[in-house]
Amino acid sequence: MKLKGFEVTRLVRSMALATTAGVFALAAPAQAADTLKLGALGVMSGPFAGWGGVMCQTFKSRAGMWNDDGGVKIGDKTYQIEVVCVDDKGDPKGAQTGAEKLISEGIKYIQGPNTDSTAESAKTVMEANKTINMPYAFSKSLYTPPASQSILGMVASYQVGPVIYKWLMDNKGTKKIAFLSENNADPINQRNEGSAAAKALGLEVVSDQETYETGTTDFFPVLTKVIGTAPDHIVLSGVNPSDVGPLIKAARELGFEGTMSTETGQDPKAIFEVAGEAANGFIVAGGASTEAIRSDFMVKFIERYTKDWGEWNDVAGLFVYGPEIMVQTLQAVGPSALDDTEAFKAALDGFSGTNPFLKDGGTLRYVGRKDYGQARQVSVPIVVQVVKDGAYEPLFVGELAD
Amino acid sequence: MAQVLLNALVVGTTYALIALGITIIFSIMKIVNFAHGQLYMIGGFVVYYFNVVFGLPFWFGLLMSFVIVGAMGIAMELFLFRPVMLRVKREEVTMLLAMGTAVFLESLALIVFGEKQRGVPPIATGVVELFGARLPTGRIVVIGVAALLIVALMLFIGYTKTGRALRAMAQDREATALQGVNLKWLSAAGFGLGTGLAGLAGGLLVAIFAVHSGAGTAISIKAFLMIMIGGAGVLSGAILGGFVLGVLESVGYALLPGSMTFLVIFLIVIGFLIVRPNGIMGKPWG
Amino acid sequence: MAPNIAGSPTGAIAAGLLVAAIYFVAVPLAFGDSGYFLSVITTMAGISFISFGVWLTFAIGRINLAQAGFALIGAYTTGILVSRFGVSFWICLPLSGVVAAALGGLIGWPVLRLKGVYFAMITLCITEACRLAALSFPAVTRGAQGIVDLPLPGDLSIFGFVLVPAFEKGARLPFFFLAGALMMAGLTFMWLLDTSRVGAVFRSLRQNEDLASSLGINVAKYRVVAFMVSCFYAGVGGAFFAAMQQNVYPTTFQVIDSVYFMVYCFVGGLEFVIGPLIGTVLLMLSFELLHEFQRYQTVIFSGLMILCILLMPNGVLSIFRRRQTVSGEKPDA
Repeated sequence: MKLKGFEVTRLVRSMALATTAGVFALAAPAQAADTLKLGALGVMSGPFAGWGGVMCQTFKSRAGMWNDDGGVKIGDKTYQIEVVCVDDKGDPKGAQTGAEKLISEGIKYIQGPNTDSTAESAKTVMEANKTINMPYAFSKSLYTPPASQSILGMVASYQVGPVIYKWLMDNKGTKKIAFLSENNADPINQRNEGSAAAKALGLEVVSDQETYETGTTDFFPVLTKVIGTAPDHIVLSGVNPSDVGPLIKAARELGFEGTMSTETGQDPKAIFEVAGEAANGFIVAGGASTEAIRSDFMVKFIERYTKDWGEWNDVAGLFVYGPEIMVQTLQAVGPSALDDTEAFKAALDGFSGTNPFLKDGGTLRYVGRKDYGQARQVSVPIVVQVVKDGAYEPLFVGELAD
Repeated sequence: MAQVLLNALVVGTTYALIALGITIIFSIMKIVNFAHGQLYMIGGFVVYYFNVVFGLPFWFGLLMSFVIVGAMGIAMELFLFRPVMLRVKREEVTMLLAMGTAVFLESLALIVFGEKQRGVPPIATGVVELFGARLPTGRIVVIGVAALLIVALMLFIGYTKTGRALRAMAQDREATALQGVNLKWLSAAGFGLGTGLAGLAGGLLVAIFAVHSGAGTAISIKAFLMIMIGGAGVLSGAILGGFVLGVLESVGYALLPGSMTFLVIFLIVIGFLIVRPNGIMGKPWG
Repeated sequence: MAPNIAGSPTGAIAAGLLVAAIYFVAVPLAFGDSGYFLSVITTMAGISFISFGVWLTFAIGRINLAQAGFALIGAYTTGILVSRFGVSFWICLPLSGVVAAALGGLIGWPVLRLKGVYFAMITLCITEACRLAALSFPAVTRGAQGIVDLPLPGDLSIFGFVLVPAFEKGARLPFFFLAGALMMAGLTFMWLLDTSRVGAVFRSLRQNEDLASSLGINVAKYRVVAFMVSCFYAGVGGAFFAAMQQNVYPTTFQVIDSVYFMVYCFVGGLEFVIGPLIGTVLLMLSFELLHEFQRYQTVIFSGLMILCILLMPNGVLSIFRRRQTVSGEKPDA
């Protein structure tokens, strides 16, 4: 026993030593010449790992493509892109230290975080350190002045919701609508926004108080009540990708014959695998990788992602807009933006880049003046699509208002 | 209302199946297996891989989910819990070990299985109408199998030699050892049986629900609720607890606004435990 | 025997002063301009402060998974009072602890009759119930929208004499020092408690409640007091994090936080007052250092955690204790 205790002591000592050494190493910012470090901060473990994990993988794959092409030219120099991913575990405390970690490595531009609570916590660090970040969270205070460092990386549910509802009213004769969401902060917020938008359009909201717990396996009980209110359409607000398939399947098994939709990015193959043919007709607002509208470049990106990570995830088609516009803007502004995000922010209003992911091209801009009072949102196209046998068919493509 | 009652029956049966495994381990080892939900999740993936990826029959995959997850349980008992329990008496240790294992399995599953939700092709199609309520055939099959499994397990525990030895060990380890029963072998087997049941539950339910790598924790929390209601360490209590939770959930969702349902359930359980600390069927213990 | 590494009061005080000196002098001097390092240390100090409470419930023989729930209560107390009524943070900080302790007393009185696994599971339910309650009553808590943009703490002054200047936007040192002060105060109080007669009573509760009760000790009263102190720590800690993050959401503290508070106590060693601090430092630092492993970070981290429990089931600090025992003292139990 004595010997063993001794060994363990040595182990602890060497661990402590390694710890101290490591901290010193981390504290020193290592910035090699002609490498541009960009960051991704999000939830990459636990039940919501689907969001941040895919975001990090997307960024890395896109960076790999730039690097294979010889790098990114900003001003006179060409940079290799290095992506540093930090897992905040969906924890606000982790989001703060994570943001600090990225900043300590000299990073000025960050994609993420993925939820309201982590983005709000990271905001305090981002604002104080003049670091740009691109959250996938809808809390308006992130993007409205006095906040100025966060740029919404996607279409907010309160922006796309009305578009879908309007389309349903015009094309499907929808009159009664129901909302169902997980009992968690982000989904409930999206439900509230969606419900208000539906009422403003003149739809009758028959149910908007029903929620289910995180990790529910059987959705029959909660759906029984929702379907009992006889809606024409059910919106799954802010639904976690892991719940979409089971929800659709359960609704159809309960005899629901109306339409269903969600406003967050989803993977059609995964939905189809769980729900089978019941998934056909499910309306999703999301990525831009649908076969009918995607460009050859998007196909190349899909190949790259599949090679890097084993399987394509349609949500990556949304996340890839973040790095794209980030780097294009940096190129447009020039070297001054690398050290100073003020120059970057000043360029947001006038920036206009090209969208390489759509067959029809189009521009990439910063919008959001109407909702946030300043240009703090990436102009991801509103692609509304419908699931058909494990793939998407586009319904229509819309554009965000300025 | 018929639909609500049918829902309660289906949810209750699936919950009972989930609660059995965790109860077996608790009764014989006095370990609360926090990794139960993660093992359930792995069971689901085992079936998915055999059925969808390798193209083998669903029922073979189901068998393998019991075998593989059961073997994992035996390994956990032999290499994690046993060495620690030999050295420390405080019950916190095994609980923490189980929690560590839960985090470990979950993060490993994320790397191995990916972040997507998975399902298997339906084992039966069609929907039966019953008193105006709808019951998909797939659910009928799964519920039938679950009920059969529960009965088979009760018979195994009640009437076979191994089952009786397990029960004896749950009551009094020393006395059982004096009867010439090999405790080492038996506790590993019991642990394997418990985790195997978790895998079996996950494997069976993936036929009507779906599985993803982060599903475990929520399952574990629900399993705790069930065994608290029913009484920890008593098999009949586990089944009863599963059904009570199933009824509470189904009826709660039907009558209350969604977000209140589980808040009310938690408050009921807390209140109930204060009045009856050992659950409905539980016996008093240290 | 005195449950401290040093074994004697003077040694303990010396050790405490050393920790304080390192924290308040050495770290700011060496790492004052590394925001990342300060942020990690600040979080660490805050978390270990909350963990001290869990440690105390361990000391009376209860596995407490409600700590995150009470931290959430503390965070909301501060969030609501500061954002709606403009109350000074410096009043909210202790008040959050008092509110959490009061609620803890109410809930704890009946719940503490449960033991072992039942107590662990019911406290886990309490943490979940707190999160759901925060979501379900938007009129009070703003529900899913969360309380955002909390102002930074203003100055703390008595009779016009400024004790603590107002926190400046982006300055990391104020929160660093605040966390350190909390951590040191929390540690000192725990140490005083543990070495006092009350501490001895608490330990006797863990070993045998029936025996303690037959000796004329009011078991129920002492249990509740210990639990309330624990909740007070949670409440104050929750208020601290609310101010540092400048927001409160139902997910600010969740079940997994409860689990980690417990793990930190445990890895440090349940026999030692300073255990939670050591456990927090070891595990949080190793998580940060494992970042190099990218997507394997959490797997390796939890693997290390399991290894830690396997190799040192009595905590890291027990190694020092064992050496003491070898060098002459009578081994206990």
